[in-house]
Amino acid sequence: MLGLERHRAALTVLAATGVACLAVMLAGAAIGSVAFPFPAIVDAIVHPTASTEVGRILWDLRLARVLLAALVGGALGISGMLLQTMLRNPLVDPYLTGTSAGAACAVAIGIAAGVASPALPLMAFLAALGTAAIVAALARTGAGISTERLILAGVSLSALFGGVVTLVILLAPAQSMTLSILGWLGGSLAGRGWGDLRIASLYALVGTIVAFALAPALNALRLGERRARALGVDVDRMQWAIVGSSALLTAAAVSVSGLVGFVGLIVPHVVRRLVGSDARFALPASALVGAMFVVGADTLARSIVPPVELPLGVLLSMIGVPAFIYLAFRRRPA
Amino acid sequence: MIAMRDVALAYGGCRVLEHVDLEVRAGELLALVGPNGAGKSTLLRSIAGTMPLDGGSLIVAERALATLSARERGRLVSLVEAEGPVPEGMTVGDVVAMGRLPFRAWWQWSSHDADRAAVDAALERLGLTAMRARLFGELSSGERQRVWIALAVAQDARLLLLDEPTSHLDLRHAYDALTLVRSLVADGHGAVVVLHDLNLAAAFADRIALLGARTLLACGPPSTVLEEARLRSAYGIPIAVRHEPDGRVVTFVDRAVLR
Repeated sequence: MLGLERHRAALTVLAATGVACLAVMLAGAAIGSVAFPFPAIVDAIVHPTASTEVGRILWDLRLARVLLAALVGGALGISGMLLQTMLRNPLVDPYLTGTSAGAACAVAIGIAAGVASPALPLMAFLAALGTAAIVAALARTGAGISTERLILAGVSLSALFGGVVTLVILLAPAQSMTLSILGWLGGSLAGRGWGDLRIASLYALVGTIVAFALAPALNALRLGERRARALGVDVDRMQWAIVGSSALLTAAAVSVSGLVGFVGLIVPHVVRRLVGSDARFALPASALVGAMFVVGADTLARSIVPPVELPLGVLLSMIGVPAFIYLAFRRRPA
Repeated sequence: MIAMRDVALAYGGCRVLEHVDLEVRAGELLALVGPNGAGKSTLLRSIAGTMPLDGGSLIVAERALATLSARERGRLVSLVEAEGPVPEGMTVGDVVAMGRLPFRAWWQWSSHDADRAAVDAALERLGLTAMRARLFGELSSGERQRVWIALAVAQDARLLLLDEPTSHLDLRHAYDALTLVRSLVADGHGAVVVLHDLNLAAAFADRIALLGARTLLACGPPSTVLEEARLRSAYGIPIAVRHEPDGRVVTFVDRAVLR
């Protein structure tokens, strides 16, 4: 049967993507200012208690960072796929709901006000969720969410908070503060560790479970809202669940990495080419491809000109945009 | 199967229909006719539960529509609308398989044998088996229409609501589509079909409901509803009606009056 064959093909691609993702993560653990051979990495991961130099660097620094990069990429990938499917718009990215602008605004004000840096991720997280809640409340019509109003409210609120961030940068009392804010806006995982991972992964896990539970109904939404309703989908409740889980995922990512743009926009496009649009395959694939992207970019960011770290978000745009243009505009054989 | 009492409907804050009393029985095909903007599609959507009532009561399968959960509604009523977005990247088989969604719990990601059998049967019945792997977006509008009907057949709801199912079809395919609806009705389904062609309505429907002037103007067998004076007033144009000796009714625009 053709349907089953296609499912099998999608599952094969999904498994291959999983293996590729694991390979990129191992490479991320091996590459750095000190490079380790693969066998030493695998040995150190299998024997976490052995106190070798490889083990120490790996467990204290690199593993947490690689896992965080995977979390950020995976969360943004799923979030982008959820919103693009719900809004049936390939130009939508996870920051549409205002999460990034809200978080940036809170972090900028926090830095300028001298808030201690360990408190910043929590501030970013709460501001991201708060902004998404305001955007969703503005887009509310009756029991559901109007997709046009969601886009309008998200874009407007993002512009407002963007303006505030620029103002704070201009008026910041010290140059070091300006640089910290710009550093956060450029996106980075420098200095993040297990503590950040524990908190962010909890939220990302909840968001991911909700997203995956929505997969079959998300497919119905591809037929249009009205047809989905006629097929017994509670569209109103589903829209809230999609916006909520996508905001939770994005807030978890933004709180640890700052602004990492473009992943949430490009990943769904790559995934649709790999496994098609069926949400049951597209959502897990988005997590894997997103993780692969950000782990790869973060590895490059810290190994191109060591010991200087390039901003992750900037690097992702510089690699991601040409790759995206190639994917989107290359001529396909007739 | 459906019982409407004093139903009122609003669209964009404006009342489009009021005081509608209508019944549809199992094993009956009711054609909904009337000029554009008379509220035919709105009425259909309200029966499907995708549009709230502005007044009155609506009973579907002996239960008030408002008390049914979305999934229960999806199992009882299927709605076929040609208008709407074209699903990206879905094949004919994928689209028809969505008809089984009301029968799956949210955690069930894959379809059961019964679902697959229902989809296969629906594709077969609409002559789409050879097309199942084709992308929906690449089909002609007539073929798309057949796919939507196949989705409704796979959904196997007791009540079928079809909004202009013949709108993109040539006479042959329109005939085939309505013949299929008749065969579903013969199986015990109830059907409400919005039609613009009064002759098709007269040929295939058991009863015709004529909407106009924000209400239900008439409802009954084709020979009693399709009356010259009534149609002329509803559509505002000279329409002639000819009653054949065998009971059939033929309607046509009366060009003699136009001249």
